[in-house]
Amino acid sequence: MTRVRLALVVVFGLIAEPASAHDIVPGVGGFAGGVLHALLVPTHVMALLGLGLLAGRLSNGRLIAEVAFAAALMGGLGAIALGTGETPAPLVLPGVSALCGALVAGALPVPSPLVWLMAIVTGVAVGLDSPPDAISIREAYLMMAGVWVGAVLMLLVIVEGATRLTRPWLLIGLRVLGSWIAASAILVLALTLSR
Amino acid sequence: MALRTAALVCILVLASLASEPALAHTGSISGGLLGGFTHPLFGPDHIAAMVAVGLWGAFLGPPAIWLLPIVFPLVMAVGGVLGILGVPLPDVERAIAGSAIVLGLAVALAQRTPLWFAASLVGFFAIFHGHAHGAELPAGSDAVAFSVGFVVATGLLHLCGIAFGLLARWPWGALAVRALGGVIAVAGVVFLLNAP
Repeated sequence: MTRVRLALVVVFGLIAEPASAHDIVPGVGGFAGGVLHALLVPTHVMALLGLGLLAGRLSNGRLIAEVAFAAALMGGLGAIALGTGETPAPLVLPGVSALCGALVAGALPVPSPLVWLMAIVTGVAVGLDSPPDAISIREAYLMMAGVWVGAVLMLLVIVEGATRLTRPWLLIGLRVLGSWIAASAILVLALTLSR
Repeated sequence: MALRTAALVCILVLASLASEPALAHTGSISGGLLGGFTHPLFGPDHIAAMVAVGLWGAFLGPPAIWLLPIVFPLVMAVGGVLGILGVPLPDVERAIAGSAIVLGLAVALAQRTPLWFAASLVGFFAIFHGHAHGAELPAGSDAVAFSVGFVVATGLLHLCGIAFGLLARWPWGALAVRALGGVIAVAGVVFLLNAP
């Protein structure tokens, strides 16, 4: 029975449509839709992964990076609530991802204020790139609250996970992952700009 | 048992509903994650060179074993940008064939060059590989999914090379690794002769 359930899960996973900004999971709206939005939009995941891995390498100031991200995300979502129109956030996100990924891959000492700055930029950009697709004001606010909770939780998990990677081969894996994030983000940026 | 049969029927129905029409160079299969993932895998010249990068890294040992696979995708992305933006590079196909020859020979001859030289050489060839992929990008691709699939496939090819290259710690393994390097170099010559 477990195998059958597993097969069903795999099939549902395979038939899932690619994530898009306004219809992340059809039929799932409100708070849950917002949480899923934060967890499933590829450019957001890439940016959070890059920032989280970078912040996880800080010996001190990790909490400041996390708080800065949370506050900036709230600011970005607030700007959306106030009716901000189109922004360059879709370009900023791969740009920040590329920078974070390259810094993780390089494993060079990164000053904490630079990571805090990138946390702020990422937070604002994720917020501005998460316009709610809702039919009522209440649902829109619920979605934005979900985005905030989902993105902040995801960043916390990545940062705390990255701090626990202490074995040499895991740290090498982290650098390889950083190079993959940077390379993917650079390509995404070029593809977005070329259209 | 009946429940299991019903579930299997459900799976078949869902899989049928989810299946995409087979179209060449269009649609989500060619443009999405799968399209990006398979793109490097359909070029034997790319495969040979990327496996050779992993082999050489493993042969050189730390830190080259992880530094070369980090340098390659980063520089390859730069080449990919040039290809996407339509910036021409001379003799891309010959350079890719040349990368298989040079990197294969480096493994076959057990060349232990300085790290900076190995990284520069790998980076130089990565630009051409990236350019070829960027220029051949199918129209209408999902940018994020394609890029991620493409980079991950490249990384996994390096990993294959590294995994095989780790055999070099044993005398018979070193011979096998060098032999594979020789095969890649010979394949590179064939690619070069067939290059447009």
